[in-house]
Amino acid sequence: MNSPNHRLDALRGGVAPVDHNARTIAALAGNPGCDRRAVLDAAGIHKQSIAVHLGHPAPFGQSPFALDRARAFEELVKADGCAHLVRLLRETLGLSVPEVAYTDIADVGGNTAHQLRHTRTLAELRRAAEDGERSGTLFDHPLLKLPVAGHEVYLEPSVIAFQIRGRFHIVEIKSFAVIDGTADSGQVAAASRLSAVYVYALKALFRAEGIDPDRVSHEVVLVCPKDFANHPTATLLDVRQQLASLNRQLSRLTRIDRILDHLPPELTFSLEQSPAELARAIRTVEARYAPECLSACEMAYFCRADARVCGSVDVLGRATRDELGGLESIDAVLDLTAGDRLTSPEQAEIADQLRYVRAVYREHASAGAEAVA
Amino acid sequence: MELDALEARITELRGEIRLAKAGGDDDAKVRRLRAELRTAERAWDDALDRGSEPDDAPPLLPIREQVHQALTLLGAPSASRVIVAVNDAFFAGRVAATQLTSLRRDEERSFRSSPYARPYYLCAALTAELLSPARGLLAISTWPVAVRIIGPLSPRTDFLTSAIRVAEHMTRLTGAGGSASSGAYRLLTRMARNIPGAVEGFGRADPARVVGAANAELVVHQENDRRDRHAAAERATTRLDEVTRLFGAGLRSASAS
Repeated sequence: MNSPNHRLDALRGGVAPVDHNARTIAALAGNPGCDRRAVLDAAGIHKQSIAVHLGHPAPFGQSPFALDRARAFEELVKADGCAHLVRLLRETLGLSVPEVAYTDIADVGGNTAHQLRHTRTLAELRRAAEDGERSGTLFDHPLLKLPVAGHEVYLEPSVIAFQIRGRFHIVEIKSFAVIDGTADSGQVAAASRLSAVYVYALKALFRAEGIDPDRVSHEVVLVCPKDFANHPTATLLDVRQQLASLNRQLSRLTRIDRILDHLPPELTFSLEQSPAELARAIRTVEARYAPECLSACEMAYFCRADARVCGSVDVLGRATRDELGGLESIDAVLDLTAGDRLTSPEQAEIADQLRYVRAVYREHASAGAEAVA
Repeated sequence: MELDALEARITELRGEIRLAKAGGDDDAKVRRLRAELRTAERAWDDALDRGSEPDDAPPLLPIREQVHQALTLLGAPSASRVIVAVNDAFFAGRVAATQLTSLRRDEERSFRSSPYARPYYLCAALTAELLSPARGLLAISTWPVAVRIIGPLSPRTDFLTSAIRVAEHMTRLTGAGGSASSGAYRLLTRMARNIPGAVEGFGRADPARVVGAANAELVVHQENDRRDRHAAAERATTRLDEVTRLFGAGLRSASAS
């Protein structure tokens, strides 16, 4: 009765779990220190409806124009038997001329059932891995499977697993522009987090099949429009760092029982309770809010409101919080700066620094006031 | 009719303006008449433009004939986007991609109700492995089965074949004293960009050079592709009935036969 899965089912309150996708898995890696997110995700709880129930709905969703644009660009890259992609891979990775084989796994004989497509993906990749370069270069619409917190999650990448000289790469097609060789860093970071999920899933799949997982390259081919035209260009992205943090986060999810042990046994996040009760239940699990959460987590507005009420230093951002190591609330920081508070020995260093900053600030402020006068 | 009435009105207004000027009427009246004249002239312009637009006229060829024409030029199973582009560049250009979505289903229905009643059908290309209909591709029923099979290398060979056919057609047009449209050159250049050695920089592609470059790459793939295609074609002719041979077998029927 006390197995983690039972506990998680109880937390969810008898509702069916929400499926993960690459986006949510990538978001997991974004804030590894947050227990609240870890528990809610592991239990497969629909965070959006919880946030709505608590009165802090997150204005999430993708613009239909952006989706359309992404689809159109992907179609362009994949048109004519991936003609653009073949050219790009020949240029960037030195793909040889005979390697153009293209296999589409979007359906199996007109049947789009996930299980079938996954089996086909497995069979195709296994054959490609064993036969070497002769069979299969590009695989379109592969369907990967990844166990997340005890649940099997199907990942449906619109990407292509592709092999060259026995190594498999993930190709990620994104519609943001690369202008003069540089792209928006936020977009690139999001893309590399997303592709890291696919690389991770592909590695897991290889390991399960008894193939050396190192044959999956940690370099992802990112295809984007070049400059202001719609002409695709390709760059290699190293996703080792994202892979590492994803790895840590996912292994943490499977060790969720450690967090569950600290929670009261009758705790539930069922939507049938009143918002106040639910908020109390949610607050028993510790969150680690950071301003970056606003673009990645549905609970962000609730956590931010909480952090503001407590005067927590989290709302100032990660960099500031780390600088103020050991100090929890903004009031404590101010008291320490003004010298209104006794410093414990471990706070001596940070207190010195804060007082120094205060002295510099006052000097500056009074100099400014004199200049004005 | 509308034009006649407007012309009459314009002449009438011109006369009135001249009279008003000659009669020394006040400026306000002349200005009002002039404004009215300009409105009438603009309406006349609009009516003239509307009359010359051919939109209302029904296309000379039915959609399936136009698709057939484009596919015959391309010589390989093609996606609707390519068919529309070829139709635009060389033919009437009256086909929209949305008109092609239900075409294959309509053709299948027609074939099932009275087989071989038409000289040709627009049918599916078949995947080499399962002989199921390949997604989004259209083909012609009179082609040999092997041409309609899509193996792993076929998307590339078909792309190269299509580029060669388009380039050859343009050479034919210019050789016969005509000239290919700028749309045709745009299409060829777009295809040539993705064929190694077919075009340099951002200039216009030269048909003869495209044929040479595409053939050079085609030679590399052709043998393997032909082997895959013939093996699958043999399976298709022995195992499939006449409807599924044209329109593809679903997963169940392929494994059952």
